[in-house]
Amino acid sequence: MSSAQQEAPDLGNRVRTAVDRTIQRSIKGLDYVLGPMTEVGLTPKDVIYERGTLRLYHYHPMADEVYRVPVLLVMATTNRGYVFDLAPGQSMVEYLLKEGFDVFVLDWEAPRPEERNLDLDDYTFDFIPACIRRIAARTGEPDVSVIGYCMGGVLSLIYAAGHTDGPLKNLVCLTTPVNWHEFGLLRRWTDPSHFDVDRLVDTLGVVPTDFILNGFEMLRPAQRTAGRIRVWDNMWNDAFVRSYRAFDRWTTEALPLAGEYFRTTMRELMWANKLYTGELRVAGQQIDLANIKVPILHTIAEHDHIVPYTASKPLLERVGSADKDELVLKGGHVSLIAGPNAVRRMWPAVSNWLAERST
Amino acid sequence: MSKPEASNDPFDTLRRLIDDWEKRIDGVANQVMGTDGFSLAMNKTQNLGLRVQKGVRDAMASHLKNINMPSRDDVIRLGEAVQAMEQRLARVEHLLEVTAKGAGNQGPRSGPPRTRKPPSQRGGQPT
Repeated sequence: MSSAQQEAPDLGNRVRTAVDRTIQRSIKGLDYVLGPMTEVGLTPKDVIYERGTLRLYHYHPMADEVYRVPVLLVMATTNRGYVFDLAPGQSMVEYLLKEGFDVFVLDWEAPRPEERNLDLDDYTFDFIPACIRRIAARTGEPDVSVIGYCMGGVLSLIYAAGHTDGPLKNLVCLTTPVNWHEFGLLRRWTDPSHFDVDRLVDTLGVVPTDFILNGFEMLRPAQRTAGRIRVWDNMWNDAFVRSYRAFDRWTTEALPLAGEYFRTTMRELMWANKLYTGELRVAGQQIDLANIKVPILHTIAEHDHIVPYTASKPLLERVGSADKDELVLKGGHVSLIAGPNAVRRMWPAVSNWLAERST
Repeated sequence: MSKPEASNDPFDTLRRLIDDWEKRIDGVANQVMGTDGFSLAMNKTQNLGLRVQKGVRDAMASHLKNINMPSRDDVIRLGEAVQAMEQRLARVEHLLEVTAKGAGNQGPRSGPPRTRKPPSQRGGQPT
């Protein structure tokens, strides 16, 4: 058969696929525009503790036998915790439950105006310990493993360094910034020579969502537009659209921040870099990462544009743990916990690492 | 060396263009936004907005005071009082739990047995 004859059906298939996808784009595009918001966080759970901005969820076990040590996931204060549980099959919580863990999630609601005075002390010396006490009461287990994501990782580190004789058995940090002087653009924009954090906090009380969201979006200004074009291109692909919508919902549903917490984060972490230098003081205690002796796993995203690789890389060299591991994955800040690489590599790695240390 | 496979989709060129466009725009924008001039201008604009906001809020508070109505700050102070009560309740709740636990009145919630072994101890390989 001549090559011209071979190419003819090929061309026919390509045209047919292109026409089919164009029709699908038009039909499904309407659904996309008019349809309801993507449902997220569907894994069954109980809210076992709520207080102001804090919510503690206990997920229903999915295994007949679970590991002795329960797991607490601590969400970053800037975003909602359902990124741990985006959709069935795209949920770290669901994965851990099926692997036999008893899973709790510490999630945040938008702080109310009267919560503007919440500070790092409240998050790390009140909220996290209170949740851990409730987990102990519910499970009857004295130990707990903590997994912290981004700023949730920072809170977990401060908790761990400030409660060295506490019930923490294992610590997993996901893309957690330690050297805040490596924050690139975010640090430049908030340089103390021109960023007046006091005026911002004193005027607004609670730092609004727009301020947080705009800061993140300005790091990749073309990302949203390009993303919309890509979702149109893939409109025929239901799985792609579902995943895009869930991620899109999550990124746009950023949370405002309590003013004092934001001020301390700026002054002590971003400007003075005290978490890195070991000079941070929280609730009257010196927070030195070298005091953390529990087994620790740190997962870093190589192409993270929010927490740069160089900002999170030094964690293991600062902690005092003898049992410490690092997992560097390709991918970005969000895909690290819920993208394809998370499903294939990160979740199994975290599950295996914890399993060996959870009996 | 093998020749790259011909793409099956006529939209591939458009996709490559979008990828390039996104990288280029982000690159240029990051360069511009990475300058001191940009940070200075951005923060000056923000400070101006905050000053206006504070002015409006103060004027509104004074107006509300004149007509004997609670201002936003008054409402926040009320909220803070409720929050303080909430915190006190949390402490009482914690003390009650500790006391109940000491008296052996509160056991853990029932659930699956907490006896699971890691794959290495079950004779399997970690996945």
